[in-house]
Amino acid sequence: MSKIMTVDVLSSIKGSKPSEAVSKLFDVIKNAHPSNNSTFNSNHNKAVSIDDLREDVVIESSATERQIIKDNFPKEKNGYLVVSKVIEE
Amino acid sequence: MMESQIKAIHQKLVKKEISCSDLVKEKLNLLKPNTHNTVNSLLEDYALALAIKVDEKIANGETIGLLEGIPFGIKDVYMLKGTYTTASSDLLKNYKSAYTATAIQKLLDVGAIPIVKENCDSFGHGSSSENTIFGAVKNAINPELVAGGSSGGSAVNVAKEFTVFSIGGDTGGSIRQPAGYNGIYGLKPTYGRISRYGLMAYASSTDCVGPIAKSIEDIRIVLNVMSGKDVKDQTTYVSEPITEETIASNGSVKSVGYFKNFIKSEAIDPKVKSDFISVVEKIKAKGIKVKALDFFKSDTLVSTYYTLAMAETASNLSRLDGTNYGNRIEGDNLKDSYSITRSKNFSEETKRRIVGGNQVLSQGFSDEIYLKGLALRDQISRNFEDDFNEVDVIISPVTPGTPPKIGDSLKDPLAMYLSDAYTVGFSLGQLPTLTVPQGTETGLQITAAKDNDELVLKFANFLKDTI
Repeated sequence: MSKIMTVDVLSSIKGSKPSEAVSKLFDVIKNAHPSNNSTFNSNHNKAVSIDDLREDVVIESSATERQIIKDNFPKEKNGYLVVSKVIEE
Repeated sequence: MMESQIKAIHQKLVKKEISCSDLVKEKLNLLKPNTHNTVNSLLEDYALALAIKVDEKIANGETIGLLEGIPFGIKDVYMLKGTYTTASSDLLKNYKSAYTATAIQKLLDVGAIPIVKENCDSFGHGSSSENTIFGAVKNAINPELVAGGSSGGSAVNVAKEFTVFSIGGDTGGSIRQPAGYNGIYGLKPTYGRISRYGLMAYASSTDCVGPIAKSIEDIRIVLNVMSGKDVKDQTTYVSEPITEETIASNGSVKSVGYFKNFIKSEAIDPKVKSDFISVVEKIKAKGIKVKALDFFKSDTLVSTYYTLAMAETASNLSRLDGTNYGNRIEGDNLKDSYSITRSKNFSEETKRRIVGGNQVLSQGFSDEIYLKGLALRDQISRNFEDDFNEVDVIISPVTPGTPPKIGDSLKDPLAMYLSDAYTVGFSLGQLPTLTVPQGTETGLQITAAKDNDELVLKFANFLKDTI
């Protein structure tokens, strides 16, 4: 599926437009000549070892934590947390 | 220059010359009038309850730790369970942390007392602490000037002694530049030395947690507490604590480098330039070899940094859509709600960066800009590796100029980006860099190779006695 998406759609920000100041920064990059244009070989071994992974366990949230999460929720009705209407495209 | 405030206050607490409750009240009273717009929220009840416990321990004859009862500030981008964490934004102005950041938890564990969430540029997006819903932060030395940013509130609180130390965040200079603008110390440690868990993400590949304080010793003490591997941040690594003795005297720094083009730049203030050159002369006079190094042009550094930081912030901030938290504004449907919520609640600067990030990440642009930016970053890192084969530390000015007047920076975003020329390179290199309040009007930066934070502090002690 190829569809041209404008930056306001990509960014989910109504009415947003590219800025001149930022375009000037990009022009510098466009005109630069890196000695090696490939970053695929320079991973610097950033992978995490299996021994360092977190335990795969469920951690129960505390009662205060749950309450804060509910308090942060933008909308509530009759004890339910309400989200915006979802549309199908 | 100031010696350790932490140690001085600790002695007073132990000798019962001051109670912890009175100490905390004194600091809260200094913060309450909010004279410099440094305060987003005060943690009054929370802090006083902790102070009473410290006083009880002292009254019972129990030993207290060095940081126990020491009041500190937190940039308002760190989670502290149950407190407001706004990122100085409309979107999160009523958001409460459900958990606590690792770095902050470590300070709580040793008994330090958070008293204030501090004003900053919204989501770290800025170099002046004017991009905030809480009012522009005023410079500690001259309130007509900006505090610098993004950790402006934290730097000013430390400079004015409203807090003993503060925890800032540095992505492209956000600790070092305000430290320089307010005449104090600020450290961006090696990337990964301190866990980012619970720091609201701006650009994850350069985001660093760091201390701001009035002495090298206090920087060292707080750095040691916060450092360490954290399973919740897989970029962290194990580091050794830095001792007071090892950084006390210089012996290991034989050669110092600086970047020629930083000093030759047309943008540099003549006074900053001449002051920096005289620092170089003083170091030479001590028998240390000084080498002028080649480096990337300022506009390349700034453009590379901002390209990558914008791409990362566009991704990181995409979660802020008002669904589960944040100031949701309802539209006709879900997508409409997202875009209205984000349009109304993000500042102009934040929107500029998100849009820029999505531009470089989109098809057609990514090869030409984003991937090229990554390649440039690799090249910059390799350049640093070569440099540190030749010199032990690199010194630089913190900023090309002095702090602008409040109101001037927001008019010209490009000028603000370019003013970060001397700080962003070290962020891209993930190198430990400390601002010291010496040398030029906005201080000096000391940088060493990765994980050599110790050498940075050591050389800072040497400079303190030398210039």
